[in-house]
Amino acid sequence: MGSVAIAINDLRILRRDSIPILMLIVMPLIVMPFVKAAFHLTMLAEGVAGTNGAEQAVPGMQVMFGFYLASQVSFGFYREHAWATWDRLRASPASASAILLGKLIVPLFEAAIQFIVLFGLGGLLLQLHVRGPWVQLPMVACAFSLCLVALGLAVTAACRTVLQVNAIINISALLFACLGGALVPVTLLPHWAKVLSPVVPSYWAMKGFRRAILGERGGELIPILVLLAFASTFALIAVWRLRFDQRKTSFA
Amino acid sequence: MTVLASTNVSCTKDALPAAPVLAVEDVEKRYGSIHSLKGVSMEIARGEIVALLGLNGAGKTTLVSIIAGILRPDDGRVWVDGINVLASGSLARRRIGLAPQETGVYPTLHVEENLRFFGELSGLRRRSLTRRVDEVAETFALTEFMRRPARDLSGGERRRLHTAMTLMHRPPLLVMDEPTTGVDVESRARLLAIIRSLAEGGHGVCYSTHYLSEVEQLGASAAILNEGHLAAHGTLPKLMAEHGYYAVDLQFEGAPPRLESRVSTVRDSTLHVITDCRPATEVAAILAELGPAVERLKSLELVQPSLESVFNALTGQKSHPDRIPQGWAGGSHG
Repeated sequence: MGSVAIAINDLRILRRDSIPILMLIVMPLIVMPFVKAAFHLTMLAEGVAGTNGAEQAVPGMQVMFGFYLASQVSFGFYREHAWATWDRLRASPASASAILLGKLIVPLFEAAIQFIVLFGLGGLLLQLHVRGPWVQLPMVACAFSLCLVALGLAVTAACRTVLQVNAIINISALLFACLGGALVPVTLLPHWAKVLSPVVPSYWAMKGFRRAILGERGGELIPILVLLAFASTFALIAVWRLRFDQRKTSFA
Repeated sequence: MTVLASTNVSCTKDALPAAPVLAVEDVEKRYGSIHSLKGVSMEIARGEIVALLGLNGAGKTTLVSIIAGILRPDDGRVWVDGINVLASGSLARRRIGLAPQETGVYPTLHVEENLRFFGELSGLRRRSLTRRVDEVAETFALTEFMRRPARDLSGGERRRLHTAMTLMHRPPLLVMDEPTTGVDVESRARLLAIIRSLAEGGHGVCYSTHYLSEVEQLGASAAILNEGHLAAHGTLPKLMAEHGYYAVDLQFEGAPPRLESRVSTVRDSTLHVITDCRPATEVAAILAELGPAVERLKSLELVQPSLESVFNALTGQKSHPDRIPQGWAGGSHG
């Protein structure tokens, strides 16, 4: 019950200030048409025929800008601290787990909106064609979103200021996007980067999306399972590190 | 779950015969090497207001946080309305309304939405929620601001909203940490009147404050914390009889003289001399000690025991009068 109330309240806050969700959606939409043609060439260089570049541009930008979802999770907690409502929440009848769950519902909702808009408009405007079973796409998106939400929680637990959160998420977003093949297909990465690629969740998200989009057969569930394993690891770190009575500040 | 007397829960073998709305038992709290609370015990009955007094760092906010269930003590127990806060936190928190020291509202949300959220958190729905929002808004004179974002309220209005949010779930115990800090005179008077009426309605109130004058205005008992100890707890007449002291205030033209043989303090042109017995019997001796400075004496006032004198005596300010901080005059404040 407490989780639902917290989620509804966070939705009200999001309705009053929708910039965060615009960040998740507008930024990738701006970038996608610019990189589509370049990705067409990289896919040709990979030896993937019959593509137009949207097959890399849409999931690539979804994966890269999806990382800001982790920021949304973290900001949700830091906002409560900045507005001095965190202690009020803790003193409410809602249990600690209900508070945590409640704070994660809206970011997951934002992830769903991002996925629907990016892939929807990708199909309509960028001629993205899904050759494999389309149901794999939401499954990968779901697992990747859980992974990012758990990462956001882990970063929240580990950091004390919002500046630290910003720095960690921005660096991770860029690094993971590069290593994971969201910016450049993994096959075109330097050898050392190819070796490192599987250690980042973006790699598995891109693998899952591309398998579905390009209709590659076999091992469809592996990327989803690996993403869920990442999500579990981040969640464990969050549970280990999170202290409800720790003060969080905007600045040091 | 350990449960004492309550209307909707059963009693166990740990049950106490007649549970006060708050019972704190031997609570200890350390922050590293700092021993913040040293075996504090106190009770609050239904309809009682207890003002928690103490210098900065005395442990007031720590105690308030422990009572509210957001900080775990190292030792001791806290019962709210018969429920062990440590063992059954969520159940106990249903019976507590906490108004923390810092104003905590959602600035982008309307007043109504702020109230509604805390009603929803406690399980209120639909009509009962709307009715409760209206009731609480009316009590705190917020009805005309319902559609206004909290960030557009004045400081006093925001503070009223902050306090109103604690009442949405009708908690039998209200825990307020310096609720009138930074509030204008009118809002302060209104808040104090509301708190008095809530106590008359049967709520127990734990009221942490720096303003001694509010204790009398609220008709509250006082619990004085000093360096982590509960130095005293009782009604004002009781505390004044046990710990109050008499004094003489001497106002001078120019700087007052120092009296080396007596405990005294200087504020502007006034010399405040603490006496161990009725001051009338000591006035002659004090005047004699003044020497030539008596020529500059403008007025002389005998000071009866007050909460301020009780506070000073219990927090060591009587023996170290120069440590009395500004704003402890026990009179009006901003």
